[in-house]
Amino acid sequence: MIEFQNVMKRYQDGYEALQDVSFSMDRGEMAFLTGHSGAGKSTLLKLIMLMERTTKGHVIVGDQNLSKIHQRQIPYFRRHVGVVFQNHRLLYDRSVFDNVALPLEISGVNPREIGRRVRAALDKVGLLSKEKLSPIQLSGGEQQRVGIARAVVNKPPLLLADEPTGNLDPELSEEIMTLFSQFNQVGVTVLIASHDLALISHMAHRVIEINDGRMVQHA
Amino acid sequence: MRKQSDTAKKVSTTGAKTSDKPSALSSYLSHHQKTYKATFKQLLEQPLASFFTCAVIGIAFVLPALLTILLNNMQSVQHNWDGSAQITLFLKKGVPTLDGNMLSATIAKKPSITSSLFVDNDTALEEFKARFELQDAVDYLDENPLPHVILVQPDKSLKSIEHIEQIKNSLLKFPEVEGALLDVMWVQRLNSITELLQRAAWVIALMLGAAVILILGNTIRLFIENRKEEIAVVKLVGGTNAFVRRPFLYMGVFFGFGGSVIAWILINLTLYMLNGPIEDLAHSYQSTFNLSGFSFESTLLLIVLGMTLGWFGAWLSVRKHLDDIEPT
Repeated sequence: MIEFQNVMKRYQDGYEALQDVSFSMDRGEMAFLTGHSGAGKSTLLKLIMLMERTTKGHVIVGDQNLSKIHQRQIPYFRRHVGVVFQNHRLLYDRSVFDNVALPLEISGVNPREIGRRVRAALDKVGLLSKEKLSPIQLSGGEQQRVGIARAVVNKPPLLLADEPTGNLDPELSEEIMTLFSQFNQVGVTVLIASHDLALISHMAHRVIEINDGRMVQHA
Repeated sequence: MRKQSDTAKKVSTTGAKTSDKPSALSSYLSHHQKTYKATFKQLLEQPLASFFTCAVIGIAFVLPALLTILLNNMQSVQHNWDGSAQITLFLKKGVPTLDGNMLSATIAKKPSITSSLFVDNDTALEEFKARFELQDAVDYLDENPLPHVILVQPDKSLKSIEHIEQIKNSLLKFPEVEGALLDVMWVQRLNSITELLQRAAWVIALMLGAAVILILGNTIRLFIENRKEEIAVVKLVGGTNAFVRRPFLYMGVFFGFGGSVIAWILINLTLYMLNGPIEDLAHSYQSTFNLSGFSFESTLLLIVLGMTLGWFGAWLSVRKHLDDIEPT
């Protein structure tokens, strides 16, 4: 599902965030991406999202070489990748429902279908009763679950998360991770960047570690 | 488009079923509806600021619109000038009355001439005496100094002075005709003034149009600044540039519409205030000239123009500022 081939990423200021990174993930796999802060986890996710482009090497997502995707095609590509952010990136001027509906509206799903799918996604994350509230009225954990609902409402084959539990206490973090596992169990490929090693260790999933922009090989 | 859907297909091999074709249009339309409603609501949330923007646009529209109205009125004056487009033919001394009458009849039969009237010099003198109360002065004259005259009325459908000038020249070729008079100097002058004003109107309209676009561009830029995060999120979840632009383009159209409405009110107010003095002025020239106001068509044109300009201003701004916002 994801394949990195000798990927190098150098930013315009000369900083090399990733050097010679190669790994691959199968369809339906779930993995954690770890490393200290500044190791290049976010850059790696950004490359998959096409928020950044590789300097050298290739990133292949779902049989598609991302270097060959034209700028104008990026939106259509992104509709098939769900992303969850540490700071949720919800829109506070609209309801929970409208936040989750956003990707569907963008894809041009018809309104009745939107209602059905949004409620299904909110039900999955356990927030069906709060669809009319503003995200501000929700707790941090609940906001993150809205973010997850928004990421999965389009039923993307690939789900990325960048420090999704960064601001949450251990109990809530575990809840969120369990949620990700559940999506993985229905066939979604999941890649989660996290430095919460304690939590990762008892999740029993593959761990991809990077250090100073390089892959750390595990035995 | 094909390439884009190919991209979609390749990635979505396992999940994400895109919506079926028939619902695509209805969903597109429903999104448009939702967008303009939301945008309108957003503008209403800042009523004063929105009103000011509209007012600036409206005021910028007033001057060119008033000039155009003035021009239309002047042109309608030119179109109503046929009464005075009369050619006066002076016959040579010694042409007998009978010949004059016959010539008049011949002229009347010519194409593009409605009628002609022979006035013999005696009748003319009588009229002259009666009109100017110069009975005594005229009586001193040994003989009638006036020539016979034929008053020729060209076809009323002839609008151009050049054409009537041509008729005059052809009439001059009759051997009995000494000279001809066509009193259209004032029409010619009016024509030049109209042309001058027309150009001025264009220049002013262009400059103020540019001003409107700049003002709108700046206003929209501020809205874009305020919604940077929203734009970034929309782009992250797969929003195209067109999707992101849409609310801002609607905003431009709304501002243009509001501006047109305010301009319409201001223009009618101005016309109302000007109508009194203009009627007085016209009255002093024994004319019943009436400043004709804003027709339904002009109102429609003003509104369409305003909305188009608003859209264009927003589009320029969005093009410059919005496409640069990439999620980080």
